Amino acid sequence: MCFGPAGAAKTTILLLMSVVFFFALAGPASAQKRFSKTYPAGQNVRLQLMNRSGTVTVEGWNRSDINITATLEAPAANIVPQNLSGTIVVNLVKDNQGRPEVGNVNFTIRVPYYAQVDIETRIGNLNVSSVRSGLVRAKISSEGDITLTNIGAAAVSAENLTGDIFFDGEIQDGGNYRFSSMKGSINLRIPANSNFRFVATAPSTRSISMGDFAGGDLNYLSDGRRVAGRFGSGAATLSVTNQQGGIRFIRR
Amino acid sequence: MNCEVCKELLSAFLDNELDESQAGLVREHLAVCSECAVVCEDLSAILFTCTAEAADDLNPSSAKAMWCRISNTIESEIKPPQAELPQPAKGRFWSLSLPQLASAVLGIAIISSLLTVVGIRNYMQPSGDDFTTRSAATMSTFEKVLAKVGLIETPQQSRERRLQEQRSAIAYWNDRVQARRMQWDRVTRDAFDRNLKVIDESVEQYTHILQQDPDDELSVEMLDAVMSDKMNLLRDFADL
Repeated sequence: MCFGPAGAAKTTILLLMSVVFFFALAGPASAQKRFSKTYPAGQNVRLQLMNRSGTVTVEGWNRSDINITATLEAPAANIVPQNLSGTIVVNLVKDNQGRPEVGNVNFTIRVPYYAQVDIETRIGNLNVSSVRSGLVRAKISSEGDITLTNIGAAAVSAENLTGDIFFDGEIQDGGNYRFSSMKGSINLRIPANSNFRFVATAPSTRSISMGDFAGGDLNYLSDGRRVAGRFGSGAATLSVTNQQGGIRFIRR
Repeated sequence: MNCEVCKELLSAFLDNELDESQAGLVREHLAVCSECAVVCEDLSAILFTCTAEAADDLNPSSAKAMWCRISNTIESEIKPPQAELPQPAKGRFWSLSLPQLASAVLGIAIISSLLTVVGIRNYMQPSGDDFTTRSAATMSTFEKVLAKVGLIETPQQSRERRLQEQRSAIAYWNDRVQARRMQWDRVTRDAFDRNLKVIDESVEQYTHILQQDPDDELSVEMLDAVMSDKMNLLRDFADL
């Protein structure tokens, strides 16, 4: 290898470009803040989170702690979690009320698998996985996807306006399951031996695909805009409404 | 002695103008006949008033004339004893004939039956919301009758009322949103507008369907749901 004057110039240019790239990449990273906190959790622990915008991911784990980590985009939001008699409350709407601009906050929260989970956001995606408790509720006020995987809860509610909803979990006897979207697709992946009564309504598209559940006791109502039926003992109640999208049942 | 004779002799009896045998008969009758005894007491009271206090005011031309008038008045009041008008029972201030009584009992029975049925139906189906999402076609005959007489709302009326309530709530929250939306960042404004548009598309769609077919229950239900969604969207963003 030889380095002449031309080679030295090239090396200088490369070094300068590296510096420029470093600062260009480091710029956004330095605009983010991180938040992390851990709370001990009792048997009846409940997570109640209300985000303004950003993605919320909740994962069940086999520990008796709730660990909240968040990345805060600029301008950074205020986060003031509270522990109210076993309920961990994080309310970014209240904590930042009146602020003209608040950056996205992306949460990753680990909860005991038996914790009740009640999460909500104005804009953004919600993901919940590996939770087996009495309640899983996810609501997006406007747009975003809801993904619930490996869920075993007696009461499940997922609601958004624009975006997809995916549920992969058990239907427990006596349980209550409600999925509602304005525009998107709703996919429900449930065990074939589930016992439930259901009403599925897709008024605009009439797209209600029962998949492997098509052989059950089904009634097609209102010109096919609604399907009602029963599987097994019908011990659980399931209600699915998609105003401008389709509904699909998938065997787990 | 019967009542008629007794009353004819009462005036003379009180004036001590009867012989002893007639006076004795009158006394015996008064002892057993409460009706004549009451008349006798009234006459005595009048006589006492006239003689003790009001003699001057009344100024009768003569005692005989006065007694004649009193006697005539009493006779005119008591004359038709044969008609035997039913004496009103003590404390009974109304009287009904048998048909009136039967009608009253029937009326009470019908009204109480209606109230019982309405009460039971309300207990069994207490949700007003259900009624707002029903069509007139699903009304029972009984409900139609009640709606006709104005005892209950028709589904149409119920739906109109519910829609009006929802529109009022939406207008309220919309004012709140308009007051705040200038403070939102562009991403929030765009997301809000996009989703409001999606909801309004559905509102328009169901309103159109219901104009074509007011009895389409599913569209009634869905319109109710999307109006609630619209209200929730406005309320949620009014907090920002």
